[in-house]
Amino acid sequence: MSNTIDTALLAGGPLLPKADLGPVLGWQLKPEGLCQGDICVPVHDMAALCPDDNTVDLLAVAGLVDRPAAVDETTGLVAIGAPRASRRSAINDLQAPEFTLPDLDGSLASLSDFAGKKKLLVAFSSW
Amino acid sequence: MAIDENVEAIKGAAEGITYPILIDAEHLLTETYAISNVPTVIWIDEHNNIVQPNWSAFGTDTFVEFTGVESGPQKDLVRRWVTHNEPMMEPAAAAEAVHDLTHEEEQARLYFRIAAKLRRDGDEDGAERNFATAVEFAPHDWTIRRAAMPLRGKDPFGEDFMTMYGEWQEAGSPYHGVPSVRTR
Repeated sequence: MSNTIDTALLAGGPLLPKADLGPVLGWQLKPEGLCQGDICVPVHDMAALCPDDNTVDLLAVAGLVDRPAAVDETTGLVAIGAPRASRRSAINDLQAPEFTLPDLDGSLASLSDFAGKKKLLVAFSSW
Repeated sequence: MAIDENVEAIKGAAEGITYPILIDAEHLLTETYAISNVPTVIWIDEHNNIVQPNWSAFGTDTFVEFTGVESGPQKDLVRRWVTHNEPMMEPAAAAEAVHDLTHEEEQARLYFRIAAKLRRDGDEDGAERNFATAVEFAPHDWTIRRAAMPLRGKDPFGEDFMTMYGEWQEAGSPYHGVPSVRTR
């Protein structure tokens, strides 16, 4: 999924209006912390997260919700990775994380479409 | 799942295949399943438990002369799991089999994603800059360095592959999962 938003890079950190945080990451800044639905992550260092009243640092937000992030300063392109918890669920708890990908015709398919069946995942490539 | 954005090449390989083939152009599964090379095979049971985590196993003998790894033994193990529910590994061993990605390997995946998007958008310099950053972060990760080769105008089966293969072996053949075993 990719989103285009107005942002400013300050010392390599992408700053964006607080109001854009929800549409981009699905998290919102509330008095109780950074929230997605009923789940809130407490914010201990508000100054690092919000340089001023109206903006948030996207990389700081990613860090708080335990997602890796990277920024190409030349183009302002930011990549935010999947929650690390989903990978830990795979490799430590042996619980297969859900995913949704397009098939060769562009129709979306998910792991959960095959619930109740044994699944053999094969990662392959042309390279 | 093809860890690949070359849909036409995958379509060519997919002729006559009836099971679902999914395209992971953004390499999402290399992140959530810590996949670092192909082929990587994962067994998932009826209750979404991973019975066999990341395993370097071949479905055909196309590369057997190079790898020394035959497909027959691994396919027999799959059949035993399907028909008799026999796992290849004990759960305790399976939970230890895949190392988590390092910070550098996470960063490599994100810079690869940025590079691939810039390339699709026609910014060749930006793509090259970010592919190079990704490879610096994870020089022994095939889903980064080798996957980037065709996107950087390099041959993934040529000299650059052999260079990477040598460096990878010198580094101890790192792989996130259960490595393949030579059977001949």
